[in-house]
Amino acid sequence: MSHSDSQSSLIRIEVDGAEHPVPEGITVIQAMWHLGRPTIHGVGCLGGVCGACPITYRLPDQPASKTGLACQTAVREGMAITFIPSDSSKKAIALLPKEAPTQKTLFQYYPETRRCTACRACTSVCPQEIDVMGGVRAAINGELATVAEKFTTCVMCGLCAAVCEVQIKPHRVGMYARRLTGAFYPKEATSLLHRIEEVRSGKYDAEWRELLSGDLSALAHDRVM
Amino acid sequence: MSILEDSKTRVNESRAARMKEERALLSPEDKDALIRKFHPDYKKEAYRTIQIGPNQGEQTVHELANLLEGKSPIASEAVSLSPQHQVDLLIIGGGGAGATAALTAKAAGANVLLATKLRLGDSNTVMAEGGMQVAVSAEDSPVRHFLDSLRGGYMKNDPALLKTLVEEGPEVAKWLMDIGVLFDREADGNLSIRGGGGSSKPRLLRCKDYTGLELMRVLKDCVLNEQVELLEFSPIVELLTDGEGACTGAVLKNLDNNQFIVVQAKAVILATGGIGRLHIQGFPTSNHYGATADGLPIAYRAGAKLTLQDTFQYHPTGAVYPEPMAGILVTEAIRSVGAQLVNVKGERFINEMETRDAVASAVIRECAEGRGVETSAGRRGVWLDMPMVDIVNAEGTLAHRFPNMVRQFSRYQIDIQKEPVLVYPTLHYQNGGIQINVDGESTVRNLFVAGEASGGIHGRNRLMGNSLLDIIVYGRRAGRAASKRATEIALGKLTLAHLDQFREAQKKAGVESKTVSPMLFPDYVKKN
Repeated sequence: MSHSDSQSSLIRIEVDGAEHPVPEGITVIQAMWHLGRPTIHGVGCLGGVCGACPITYRLPDQPASKTGLACQTAVREGMAITFIPSDSSKKAIALLPKEAPTQKTLFQYYPETRRCTACRACTSVCPQEIDVMGGVRAAINGELATVAEKFTTCVMCGLCAAVCEVQIKPHRVGMYARRLTGAFYPKEATSLLHRIEEVRSGKYDAEWRELLSGDLSALAHDRVM
Repeated sequence: MSILEDSKTRVNESRAARMKEERALLSPEDKDALIRKFHPDYKKEAYRTIQIGPNQGEQTVHELANLLEGKSPIASEAVSLSPQHQVDLLIIGGGGAGATAALTAKAAGANVLLATKLRLGDSNTVMAEGGMQVAVSAEDSPVRHFLDSLRGGYMKNDPALLKTLVEEGPEVAKWLMDIGVLFDREADGNLSIRGGGGSSKPRLLRCKDYTGLELMRVLKDCVLNEQVELLEFSPIVELLTDGEGACTGAVLKNLDNNQFIVVQAKAVILATGGIGRLHIQGFPTSNHYGATADGLPIAYRAGAKLTLQDTFQYHPTGAVYPEPMAGILVTEAIRSVGAQLVNVKGERFINEMETRDAVASAVIRECAEGRGVETSAGRRGVWLDMPMVDIVNAEGTLAHRFPNMVRQFSRYQIDIQKEPVLVYPTLHYQNGGIQINVDGESTVRNLFVAGEASGGIHGRNRLMGNSLLDIIVYGRRAGRAASKRATEIALGKLTLAHLDQFREAQKKAGVESKTVSPMLFPDYVKKN
C-alpha cells in the first residue's frame, strides 16, 4: 500500500530468529506485510490506539529488550522482533456499585492490587508512557480520580499485566477507576440535565413543527455563524 | 537548506502576520465552485453506473461498485445451512454501534450473539479523536444542531433520521456518563465543549483527543461485564433469508480455521462500519485495518437499498510525513483551537473552520496548482501550523489537550509544539450507506443497520462529532427495535435464495465479476 520500496534502502531485521531485508522507514506491521506474512491476530487500528499489536524488540547496540506497538514502531537495522498476544477479551466481571464508591470498591474486584511490590516493570513496558505504577499506588491509596487521570491514554494492550510479578492488572484497575470516576462524578453537569428536561417537556416541539412543515431547502444558504 | 526546511522556515516567519489575518468564510457560490472543481466526489472518471440490484442505474465509485456486483464466497449448494447458533439477535460488528446495540438488546431481555471480524472494540470508533456533538449549552439547541448538520450535509440528510439524532443527543450523553464515560468537565461540573467545522455553536463533548477510545473502552467493558456471547475473528460473509425477502440469519467465517458458522436469528443488526481500506481513488485512509465495507455488498445481495452511496468524506488533514504515519488523522479540533493551514509559500489559503469538504478541496487545490510541499517519498501536502495552538491559547495546550497527537509525532522525533506538520486529505468516512428508518431497519425485513454502514443521517457531508453520536443513538435504537421484533416472531427458514436471484440478475445484465465480496481485509501482503 502506502510504502514504496524503490526509494528507500534496505535494512535487515530478525523475525522469529531469521534475518530478512526490509525497506527502511516502514513500521513493524508494514514489514510483516513486506515479508509476505498476512496479519489477522496482532493488527487493529494501525493508528496506535487499539492495543492489538504489542511487540517486544531488541536493538543490536542495546542489551535490554524494549516494548512497543507494531503499528507505531519503525524498523531499525538489526532489530529482533517478537509479537506478543494482545490482551484477552476474557476478564473478571467488575460492575459499578449503586452508591458512590469507597476505597474498598476497587479492591472488591481487584484485591491483588494491594500486593504491588513497586518494581516499576509495568511503567517500563507501557507504550503510552503512562505512569502505570504511580496509578497502581494511587489505587492502593484510594485516590480514584488520580488513577483515572493517569490512565486517560491507556490503549488496553495489557503489557503491564503481562509483566506484573504479582498478577495485578493495572490496565483493568485503571479502566475501573475511570468508570467509577465518570459515573460518580462529584459535580453534576447541570446544563446537560436542563437540556434533557427541555427536550422531554416539549420546549422545542413548536419550533420543530414549523421547521419541518416548511420548505427545508429554502434554508440551504442561510448561514448563521 | 532543503526545500522542505526552507518552506518550514517561511511558515515560522509568516506566523505573526497570519495570526492577525481575518479570513471570512466562503460565499455559498465560491464554496460550491471550489468543491465542484477539486473535491474527489466530483471526479467523474472515478465513478461508474451500478448495473444490478436495488440501486441499479445509480452511480458510485469503481471500488465500491465492484464489491456490490461481486461474487459471494459461498457456493449455495456447498454449504449446509443447519445452524450452529440460534439466537434472538445476531449483531455483526464490535465497534461502538455494535457494542451499544448489544448492551441495549441485552437490557431488553434479548438473547444476543455478537460476532466481529477482529476483536471486540477493533473499529473506527476507537480511533475517533475530536468528540461527540451534543447541544448542551444555553445558547445552543437541538434545532440549531439539526440546521448545522443539514447545511453541512447539503440538505440531503433524511430529516427524520437527523431530528432523532440531535434530539436524543443529550439523553445519550447522560447514558454514557452513567455507565462511566469520563468526558472533559469544567470546574462547575458542566461538560466542557468546543467548536467544530460547520457548527454555529460549540457543542463537542470530548475526552482530550481520545474521545473514541474512551467510549469504546467503556462500552467494551460493559459488554464483557454483561457477558454478551461473543464470536471474535468471525466476520460475516453472507446473510441468510427466508426466500420471501426477510432476513433470518447469517453465515460467518471463523478466520482461525476457515470454517463457516451458520447462525439463525430472528433479527440481524449490521454494524460493520466504514470503507476507508478500499483506498478509493488511491487515497490513504485514517480508518481501521478492517474498514472494508463488508456490510454493504452483503446487505445489497440480500436486497437492501443503499442511499448516498456516491459520497465520501476526505478528512482535510491526514498526516503526510513521516511516511509510516501517512493517512493518520490530525484531528480537526487542532484547527478549531487555532492551528492554521499554510501553503509552501507560507500563506494561508482557507478559513480553517469551513466544512471538511471545502477545506479538503482547498488543500487539494493548493497542491494541484503547485503550492504544495513534496516529501522524499513523493507525497504532497500543505503545512498545518501546530505551534500556533500553544501561542494562541496557552503554553502546554497541545500537550494537555492533544496528548495523542504529541505522542504519535514524537515517536518519529517530530515535536509538534515547535514545528508545523505536513497534511493532505485522507479517506475518512462513508457519508452514505444502507438506507434505514428511525428504528434502524433497512428495506429488508428484520435486517437492521447501525453506525457508519447506514446512510441518510449525514447527507453528503458529515459534520465533525456527529458520527460518535450516530453510533450511540442508532446503536440503541436498532438494539431496542430489533429486540422488540424478536419477541413478535419465530425463527425463520434459512435459505440462500437471494443469492440465486442475485446470480440470475448478474447473468441477465451480463455482469461477470471477478471480485469476491466482502473483501474482509485490504491486500497489503506482498506476494513473494
